[in-house]
Amino acid sequence: MAERPATGGSGHGALTEEFVGEWRNAAYNCFSSGHKFCREVCPVMQVTRDEAHSPTAFHANVVALEQGHLTLEDVARDYVHCTQCGACELRCPNTLFTGDFYRFRTRTVDLVKAMRALAVDSGIHQPAWQRWNELTDRWGNEPVLGNIIEVSQRHVRDWAAGLDLPVGGETVLFCDCEAAFYRTSVPRAVALLLQHAGVEFGLMREQWCCGGPAAEMGYVEQARRFAEHNVADWRAAGAKRILVLDPHDYITFTEDYPRYFGDDFDFEIVLVVELVAELLREGRIELTVPIDRVATYHDACRLNKRKGIHEAPREILRAIPGLTFKDVDHVTQWSYCSGAGAGLGIERPDLTAELSRRRVEKAAELEIDTLVSACVWSERPLGEQGREQEIEVFDLMELMAESAGFEV
Amino acid sequence: MTTTALSDPVLEELVEILGADHVFTGRSARFNRARVPAPFPVHRWPEHVPDVVVLPTSAEQVAEVVKLANRYRLPVVPRAGATGLTDGAVPLRHGILVDVKLMNRILEVDLEDRTVTVQPGINMLKLNEELRQHGVMYPDDPASYPCSLVGGRIGTSGWSLIGGRYGHARDLVISFQIVLPTGEILEVGDGGGRKIRKSSTGFQLKHLFMGHQGTLGIVTEATLELVPRPEAEFSAFFSYPDYETAWRSTAALARSGLATLAGVVLFDEWKVRYLRRDDEAYIPQPPEVKAVVATALYGTSDEVRPAARRLLRIGLASGGEYLGDEISQGDWASRHDRYATPLHGRLAGGQVVPMSWHCEDAAVNWSKLPRVREEWHAIVERLSDRHPIFDDWGMFAYTNGAYKPWGDYLTEIDVGIWEQELDDESWAAWVQAKRDIAEVTVRHGGSISACHGACRAGEVDLVPLELGGQFDVMKKIKRALDPLNVMNPGKYLLDQAYEEETS
Repeated sequence: MAERPATGGSGHGALTEEFVGEWRNAAYNCFSSGHKFCREVCPVMQVTRDEAHSPTAFHANVVALEQGHLTLEDVARDYVHCTQCGACELRCPNTLFTGDFYRFRTRTVDLVKAMRALAVDSGIHQPAWQRWNELTDRWGNEPVLGNIIEVSQRHVRDWAAGLDLPVGGETVLFCDCEAAFYRTSVPRAVALLLQHAGVEFGLMREQWCCGGPAAEMGYVEQARRFAEHNVADWRAAGAKRILVLDPHDYITFTEDYPRYFGDDFDFEIVLVVELVAELLREGRIELTVPIDRVATYHDACRLNKRKGIHEAPREILRAIPGLTFKDVDHVTQWSYCSGAGAGLGIERPDLTAELSRRRVEKAAELEIDTLVSACVWSERPLGEQGREQEIEVFDLMELMAESAGFEV
Repeated sequence: MTTTALSDPVLEELVEILGADHVFTGRSARFNRARVPAPFPVHRWPEHVPDVVVLPTSAEQVAEVVKLANRYRLPVVPRAGATGLTDGAVPLRHGILVDVKLMNRILEVDLEDRTVTVQPGINMLKLNEELRQHGVMYPDDPASYPCSLVGGRIGTSGWSLIGGRYGHARDLVISFQIVLPTGEILEVGDGGGRKIRKSSTGFQLKHLFMGHQGTLGIVTEATLELVPRPEAEFSAFFSYPDYETAWRSTAALARSGLATLAGVVLFDEWKVRYLRRDDEAYIPQPPEVKAVVATALYGTSDEVRPAARRLLRIGLASGGEYLGDEISQGDWASRHDRYATPLHGRLAGGQVVPMSWHCEDAAVNWSKLPRVREEWHAIVERLSDRHPIFDDWGMFAYTNGAYKPWGDYLTEIDVGIWEQELDDESWAAWVQAKRDIAEVTVRHGGSISACHGACRAGEVDLVPLELGGQFDVMKKIKRALDPLNVMNPGKYLLDQAYEEETS
């Protein structure tokens, strides 16, 4: 495609000029269409109905920046309104059809991340995100709200008390911050299932936050530092294979880290849900304890929409004896989201609560008593709304461990 | 941050009516509500930016905003999905933009009398997701089905891809509530009953308040038709060695009398060439294929099965070759995504450049289609010879009449435009081309738009020619209903109504 230098023309800083130069054609590909198929599938737009929060606007703003009609200050706050779930990219006709010709794919998530990074690098901060990332930087882990365990390196492995897990080894389990300090039953369930199946694995020597949330909120330098720390820790531990129990971390390790480290990033990244589904298939895990519940599955956005992973969780649910599983197909779930991702819940907790309320309401229409997720970050807002609607929210690993006869 | 040109009392009153959370004055909020998908020189974007944006949640709020606009003589512009192609939702004179997207609730599903009552900000796909559980659907199916909203469909009196079977927006909207340009809330229908489909009481005002592009009011509620979800869908695509055979075959298929026939679509040789050249998703056809005809049937299986056999017989007997199940089912299923054929086009030398898609539509009788087609392609060829940023992407012709899909056709020419390079000179050439396209339509006894509306620069100049005395009545009605010209001013040359008053 024809390139021409960004003109700017309104006295933008060099950073904005560079950003516009990088994104102008991709932005124009959306702007020129302007048909907004993304709007009705976007979980945030479904709540705010504010056109300035639409993926179309996120692209159009780049054109407006280039033309000098808008400034970074005008638009930075709008980009808070995105969970980076990826639904808009899937629904974009440019991705679906015409893009085929040039292997073009709409990359709204990357654009939102880039715009947030540009804002931070230009000194425009969202107050709650700034505070969150300062604390993460100070403590090494995210300042998980209402933590059960004090957030600190001293306690990062407390969740594993009594499980007798080694530190280091060829295979390392990376435990997400929310799981390590709040929903500790999830990593415990994972550890018990893997131990039972004879999978050898250890923990990190010093596990910091993966850095993904910082990258999602625009704190790129910090994200990179955290990545370097974790990779150094893996190497020091002799790790070759990293087990990941949280979809957000899975995105960070399979998309951000390879971008940071290039070919040097030679670790095998394994999603726990896929691994345990395989162990189940091989008969190394047996689900024998009936779970007398009527459940539906919440497709984790980062698995379903970002990675196309929706079969393994369903396979596990169908294997649980006693469980009545009322499924909603993964394409319908493109428009569902808990609202927990990409810092929305930190900066706009009201929106996260409303997204979760609507998600749980959809589940309630199925006349179920249990909503199962495979994303630990979604489980807190969904659980809060579930309590209002008398629906219990479980992690898939919690349910699976119970059916395998473990108490977590 | 620069906010808006409006005076403080106006903003204060708006906040009083709507609450501070629903009144937006920031630049981003306003710039992102200035455009619709129709191409426009991006350097002229600020010319159409509203002064303030409001997101009402009730008809009463809309009415109060409109009354305020009258008090202060400010333009007020309704905006629903903003997916239209004739600038209906573009605030040409700035002013107060009333964005109805927050009014997107389903108010009533009446399975006894087969209606659904909704607010104007709901999208048809979303509505049908909710209706599915009841075994019914609202069959308004424009190309913009995943994104356009009911309010905009009424303001446009839009056309539906399956209108031959189910009717178009005007046939499917039973009644609605509209805030008039002076702020009164009016219930409009076919007669007085909210759920009555056919009446002969009084004037028939429903059509008057549809398709006016927001110049006669803001719809705040609508009662819509429910039809049984079809048990069966059948689509068939045929290929032809030349346009004329395809054109005659189109007529044979459309005149078949099959009640389940949803529509017939004719692709001309420019369209087939464009798809073959630049659209990999389109299943490639051998070079001898010069034109394509697509058809679709909807209904009960008992109806669709025999109708499908008959349709295939007609297609083959009239010179078509069946293109197979893959393209027939796949291409029809992807019809909405095909609507956005943007992203790239080509300069004369074949160089690929990012281009925006634009489509000029018209209603033309079947007998005139070949002549109109030749003249339209010649206009675009002259345009792209002088300005290579325009690229002819071919023409479609779709059956147009609801339930009687044989006499007239929605025909469209798709033109790629490299909008980033659109300067004042090439924009003027484009506007002239639009004017020329409209002139051909009117000369051949057609109507300038079957689908989008006709109030963009260029074609709008020909509206008085097409409508004749009807345009004078339009002006009288506009002046009577909107004495201060506050409701979406600048559209459809309706400012003339007020010029005549002062002269």
